[in-house]
Amino acid sequence: MTQFLQALLSGLLLGGFYGVMVLGFSVLWGVMGIINLAHGDFLMTGAYLAWLMFRTFNLDPFISLVLILPLMFVVGYALQKILLNRLIERPRLATLLVTFGLSISLANLHKILYTADPRNVPVAYNGSIELWGISVPIVKAIVFFIALGMMSLLHLLLQRTRLGKAIRAAAQNKNAAKIVGIDIDRVYAITAGICIALTAGAGAAISPTQAIFPFMGQPFTLKAFTITVLGGLGRIPGALLGGMVLGITEVMVATYVPGIGTNFGVALSLILLVVILIVRPQGLSSGLRPMNEDRS
Amino acid sequence: MKNPLLEGRQISKSFQGLAAVKQVNLTVFTGEMMGLIGPNGSGKTTLFDCLCCLQPVDRGKIFFKGRNVTQARPNQLARMGLARTFQRIRIYRQMTVLENMLISRQWRGETLLDIFKSSHRQTKIRAKELLEFLLLSHLDREYAGNLSGGQQRLLEIGMALMPDPEIILLDEATSGINPTLINTIKERILILNQQQGKTFLIIEHNINFISDLCSRVCVLHQGEKLAEGTPDEIKTNKAVIEAYFGR
Amino acid sequence: MKLHKNSKKQTEKKSFLKKWGGLILWILLLGFLALYPYTKVSGIQLFSATQVFMLVTLASNWNLIGGMTGYIDFGHTVFFGVGAYMMGILVTQAPLAFAPRLSFWQALPIAGLVALLLAVSLGWVTLRLKGSYFSIAMLGTFAATREIVRILRPLTGGGAGLDLPPVLNRLGEYYFMLAVMAIVVSSIWWIRRSDFGLSLLAIREDEIGAEMRGINTTLHKLVALAIAAFFTGITGAFWAWQNTYIDPDVVFLESRTVEMVMTSMLGGLGTVWGPPLGAVVLYSIQNIVWSNLLNYHLLALGILLIFLVLFMPEGILGKLGDRSSISAIRLIQRWQKRR
Repeated sequence: MTQFLQALLSGLLLGGFYGVMVLGFSVLWGVMGIINLAHGDFLMTGAYLAWLMFRTFNLDPFISLVLILPLMFVVGYALQKILLNRLIERPRLATLLVTFGLSISLANLHKILYTADPRNVPVAYNGSIELWGISVPIVKAIVFFIALGMMSLLHLLLQRTRLGKAIRAAAQNKNAAKIVGIDIDRVYAITAGICIALTAGAGAAISPTQAIFPFMGQPFTLKAFTITVLGGLGRIPGALLGGMVLGITEVMVATYVPGIGTNFGVALSLILLVVILIVRPQGLSSGLRPMNEDRS
Repeated sequence: MKNPLLEGRQISKSFQGLAAVKQVNLTVFTGEMMGLIGPNGSGKTTLFDCLCCLQPVDRGKIFFKGRNVTQARPNQLARMGLARTFQRIRIYRQMTVLENMLISRQWRGETLLDIFKSSHRQTKIRAKELLEFLLLSHLDREYAGNLSGGQQRLLEIGMALMPDPEIILLDEATSGINPTLINTIKERILILNQQQGKTFLIIEHNINFISDLCSRVCVLHQGEKLAEGTPDEIKTNKAVIEAYFGR
Repeated sequence: MKLHKNSKKQTEKKSFLKKWGGLILWILLLGFLALYPYTKVSGIQLFSATQVFMLVTLASNWNLIGGMTGYIDFGHTVFFGVGAYMMGILVTQAPLAFAPRLSFWQALPIAGLVALLLAVSLGWVTLRLKGSYFSIAMLGTFAATREIVRILRPLTGGGAGLDLPPVLNRLGEYYFMLAVMAIVVSSIWWIRRSDFGLSLLAIREDEIGAEMRGINTTLHKLVALAIAAFFTGITGAFWAWQNTYIDPDVVFLESRTVEMVMTSMLGGLGTVWGPPLGAVVLYSIQNIVWSNLLNYHLLALGILLIFLVLFMPEGILGKLGDRSSISAIRLIQRWQKRR
């Protein structure tokens, strides 16, 4: 029973992280129709930034978030202006190929900069506390609450502010949004900035709990895809729910199926994806736009 | 005794809560020409998509040649003898006119091995005959994208005719076409119907086109069937007039 | 059937050179390559040539599903890996009690068939979906297979890998790969001209239209993927034999997929002669320009891929005016209307 509760807790904490990790991917897809295959690599970039700051300034990763988020917002903004803007309205193949190229470039750039050796951020409080016989890892709990906070903030931003309304309008109907006077390019750039910043922030947040290496990104991209298909495009509650499902399944399999361990994450999310696709081959509809819209 | 060829029973289809087609019954009999009219957004094209299984219906059944084809794939239906054209022209712009015709060749009874068979000489001859019939034969080596709008419509009709179908669904075959060419299309459709016994189901905005060709007309309004009858009956039907001109 | 009495017999005016020129050049090239070992060449040169042949084969296979059918496959290396591992497992151990260890020639077709079966079962699920789902599902399959291979320690040796019996026969390897390449490229030439190829192009250009014209699109895509997977599996099996050592990291190498994509894009997506041309160009660039900067190889490839898609999506052959490549641009480029 304790083992089960322990696994459930780990799964929930992991799921909360997945929920925030997937947001950037899901919103970028929902608003601009760009499937970002470099998603995990931006997460990796965030983790490396946190590591860099920890090493050079001995800055706590959660404090360096304050620097990483604005920095990566600028990166995302510029990326949209320079690269992604050329991809909107173009068929999916172009986006996939370009973001695939971006993914490879980013991963290998980091390999050249920091070598392929795994790095870690050993924070002092990287332990766990016992609560009713269940050990609660401190860092993961902090990540979980930060994730919930970020999600609520994004939710408020999308639902309550003028900018959020503009973003949602741009997702629904680009031309109509243009006609009512929304500066669509700026809205897109800001959206991309937010998405990239969130992704890198998620990477920075988990840096204390995980080895950081240039090729760590790809599994996250794949998991983000599965969670998005599971939870719906650009839907924040859906992202949280999908993240929870994947997180709990992953931990449960690692706990109860012998001989597999934690290295089975990608295969598991793929199996989950295939099952969803078999059950609902038409894809899931979403808060922002129909998922399998014909864009070819 | 008239023989039902294509039949839709109680077809309903909605998109994210918006009902596009509501419980429409439609029967097309062998050898007839039937019109389908209605104001913009009345669900004509959605009904078409449902009838040829491009869109799965929410409720209702579709019968073709007496068989229940509700769950069929569009390509199966096409090989059973149903062909259609599209409102937004779907031709292969980067291929030549002849290649376009060959894509839509006779696909009867396709199995794994049939994939690798190349088409008979006969198919090419047929394609050329059809192009001549549609007054396009001088363009057969031209890229389809270079054709004028009307010629592209004709080519699409040609592609629909290639597999020698029993029923052809025409979706706004005359929109954006000059009157001379409309007459050509009309004349060709008449020949196909009278000499070869092809069945037609035609979506049209041009009422004259419909009343010249069709013996029976079905009117859709806001996804529901409003009326059905001969063109003259329809023209005097109160509900139809109200739907088109009222309010 | 007769629609018009005066159906005149049009003479085939298609220029002879345009129709057969590529093939004649190809046969001449193959003839030259068959004689090449008789000139004074070192083993290293033969080995390099074998690598180019392998790249051509892989890229041509990728081009069949990615270029001609329009389904971008980011995990094609999975078929290579499955082929390699089938070869490794079958020649080093006897997984079934009754089956003895197999020889290279016995294991080869099995490796290809297993890759084909994997392709069919994967395609059955993923190819019914929109293209982007397929792309990412394949990427996922690739990463997942690497994980699974690592976990199945008793069969695959896990992370430690498998050692194959060492055989050094550069000449034999050269001729084997030359033959595989000849078969693959010639089949793709034939497919491009056949009705099957025409249907694949139709699927790429407008899948709904193709479906409505009676083309069983799922079956066609499945067959295309199966063919591509079979030959990729064969190539992988050969690679394992040649390399005499396999482990998950050297077999399931991401850069291999990147090279397949790049080679096709560079030469001309959806063309027959694009991959061979692209392979030669890419291999030359790699060896002349990048050989001193091995670290930067993949970074450069990634950036080059972005630039190709944005600024030269039609590839070299497209620049020279090959129509089948030009129509492939439409898949990638559609911005003329926009601004």
